[in-house]
Amino acid sequence: MAGLSFSPYMRGQFAAIARVRWQLFVNGLRTIRGRLEVVARGFMFLAFGVAGLGGSLALGFAAWFFVSHEKVEWLAILLWPVFLFWQLFPVMASALTENVDSSNLLRFPLSFPSYFLIRLVYGALDPSTALGCLWLLGLAIGIGVAQPGLFLWAALVLIAFAIFNILLARMIFAWVERWLAQRRTREIIGVVFFIFIICFQFIGPLMSRIGRHRHPEVSRITTQVLPYERVFPPGLAAEAIARAIHGAFTPALAAFALECAYALAILWLLNVRLRAQYQGENLSEAVARTSSPKGKRAIRLGWNVSGVPGPVAAILEKEFHYLSRSGPMLFTFVMPVVILLIFRLGPQASAKQGNFLAHAPDLAFPVGSAYALLILTNLVYNCFGADAVGMQLFYVSPVTFREILLGKNLAHALVLACEVVVVWIAVGFMFHPPAADVTFATVTGVAFALLLNLTAGNLLSIYTPKKIDYGAFGKQRASTTTVFASLGIQAAVFGLAAVTLLIARAFGEVWIAGVIFLILAGLASIGYILVLNRADSIALNRRDAILAELCRA
Amino acid sequence: MDVPAIATQALTRRFGDFVAVQDVNLSVSPGQFFGFLGPNGAGKSTTIKMLTGLLAASSGCIQLLGLDLAKNPVEVKRQIGVVPEGMALFGRLTGAEYLNFVGRMYGLDRETAGKRTAELLDFMQLAEQPKTLVTDYSHGMQKKLALAAAVIHGPRILFLDEPFEGVDAIASGTLKAMLQRMIARGATIFLTSHVLEIVERLCSHLAIIHKGRLVAQGSLEELRAGVEAQAAAAMAGASPGESSVSAPGEKLTLEEIFLRIVGGTRHADQELSWLG
Repeated sequence: MAGLSFSPYMRGQFAAIARVRWQLFVNGLRTIRGRLEVVARGFMFLAFGVAGLGGSLALGFAAWFFVSHEKVEWLAILLWPVFLFWQLFPVMASALTENVDSSNLLRFPLSFPSYFLIRLVYGALDPSTALGCLWLLGLAIGIGVAQPGLFLWAALVLIAFAIFNILLARMIFAWVERWLAQRRTREIIGVVFFIFIICFQFIGPLMSRIGRHRHPEVSRITTQVLPYERVFPPGLAAEAIARAIHGAFTPALAAFALECAYALAILWLLNVRLRAQYQGENLSEAVARTSSPKGKRAIRLGWNVSGVPGPVAAILEKEFHYLSRSGPMLFTFVMPVVILLIFRLGPQASAKQGNFLAHAPDLAFPVGSAYALLILTNLVYNCFGADAVGMQLFYVSPVTFREILLGKNLAHALVLACEVVVVWIAVGFMFHPPAADVTFATVTGVAFALLLNLTAGNLLSIYTPKKIDYGAFGKQRASTTTVFASLGIQAAVFGLAAVTLLIARAFGEVWIAGVIFLILAGLASIGYILVLNRADSIALNRRDAILAELCRA
Repeated sequence: MDVPAIATQALTRRFGDFVAVQDVNLSVSPGQFFGFLGPNGAGKSTTIKMLTGLLAASSGCIQLLGLDLAKNPVEVKRQIGVVPEGMALFGRLTGAEYLNFVGRMYGLDRETAGKRTAELLDFMQLAEQPKTLVTDYSHGMQKKLALAAAVIHGPRILFLDEPFEGVDAIASGTLKAMLQRMIARGATIFLTSHVLEIVERLCSHLAIIHKGRLVAQGSLEELRAGVEAQAAAAMAGASPGESSVSAPGEKLTLEEIFLRIVGGTRHADQELSWLG
């Protein structure tokens, strides 16, 4: 990092980058969609603001309590969650947000220190950094109120902790970015990420299981592991403050020095990664021409789906190819069964705190099926998103959008049907086989909800498409308009379902709900057909906007 | 008289206040290899997008093979093949799956689509990576695949937007031979390219669009004669010593004709002096 100084040349470059970011933002406001995105972001900003200030107050109060009640060692309990949030949230959020690839800047004559600084600063004001800093500020103030003489020391230690967190987050991102640059590693990361998410879901049920009984081995392991917590940055920061409060300044300084050493080590790792980027690394994925034995290979024929026209069958087949090659997408289809398993592993009916499925196992099948449908809405509400430039083919080929949407809807309906069957079997194993009337009501309810979602999904797919890549780890967010519209539709579906179930309950017959759902499904199908018949003219009227969004680089 | 393969009347496209294409009247006869040229931003891509249904016209009429594109879109699209600017590929299919898919979208039955897929992959030398996804193809391979997809249903009109960009010399030769064969069999090809040497070698007829307006249309010989006649007229009124259009006995190249028509004669040495 030698030679890092702000020459006028560098200042000019930074100013140019800041200006271009601002211009990108302003230009984004030219479209209605861009303006809606800003409004949605405003709401998110408010939510994060509340979380930041609330968390800051809570942490400040807790820190004050620990310090003033001589439980200063417990500060680590406050710093670990801050650390975990700071590091895990950006990784999880990257699946939902769009990140600007600042390595594009390398084509300009940037010095390495400039590039390093830009990579450090670019996007550093993300929610995790803002919230983390706010929370640490609250902590420092809480400590300062309890022990005013130690405020400066606590602030210094926490600033070092914040710098460590910022560097670590940037370092993780720089390496993740490297892996995401290639399709294969990107897909592996995606699968690992989803396994991690799934495993994460099991922590609660397992903890509650462990908590209900005495497990001496767990206590023993915890006692053995706890001292090691102090050699990690959150523990070191807590240790540095705690020792200073006790007047042991040498160990406090040693803990602080070790904390700074961690930050320096991370800085070095970040430096290694960014230098490799700066020097130019070849991440090309293009296949080389291979010499292979000549001769025609047999080409597998397309699917033959009886009763379905050729183009619709072709789209159905294409959709299944796309889904089967998307690791993360396949994992999301596993989630309904995982959720049921989580409920099954959780506290059972015997316990007062037992979860609702333990009290009402008959609801397991409807809940699992509803969850399966919710997951599917990701595909339904942006069904052209993954087609990207392939969308052009739909416009130049002699196929109507009615047929195209029919093929896509058929694929999604088949996926949901398979999911519902899997959920039914899983419920049979985990709880008990769903009763006939519950199965009837659930299947008809899902049919109604699916038709309603397909109708809205077809419209939103045409009106607010968003380019996505099933195989990519991040940037998979549908447009904010779609997200809000989908939330509204789900609220309406669940409201109607609740009313239907209440009516059935009033009569004491579950099958009545099934009949009502059938009628609702009939009504929804009319809307579905009406939209499908209008799809062609809407898609033709919207073709400029659709192609502009889906064909952008 | 033959119905034109491609005909437009007063074709216009506006983007807000900006008129990208204005009153374009094109006429391309069946069996012609037609080159559509123009400087950057002249309206080439906008025109080809309108002709292929990727963009709506603000006004005017498009007729392909005698059918109105706006009134019979499906029937018209059945008879045309397109390699658009973005290539219209589906990245997460293999080459074979993509061609099979496109074949069936154009109404081919499974067997025919499968047979033609195998032949086209072999012809385009793409059969060596049967399991490779299109997204992992090189740019040139993607271009070849896009061209294969555009011809799988045997179109009567083929629209090609920069078809040779990124394609190696060997493949380029094969593709040109294939296109010539299509012409020989009566198909019409509408091509845009910035490489004027290619257009000059392949195309029998040309149109030049400039600032959204069609400024020339005809065979290469007709355009050449037009430019030479204009130059001769200008020479008659010019002072002695001014240079002629071309050296005596030498034919004007397409590049020279193009530059004469669109007036692209800015001299870099008189401007941008800071370039050194």
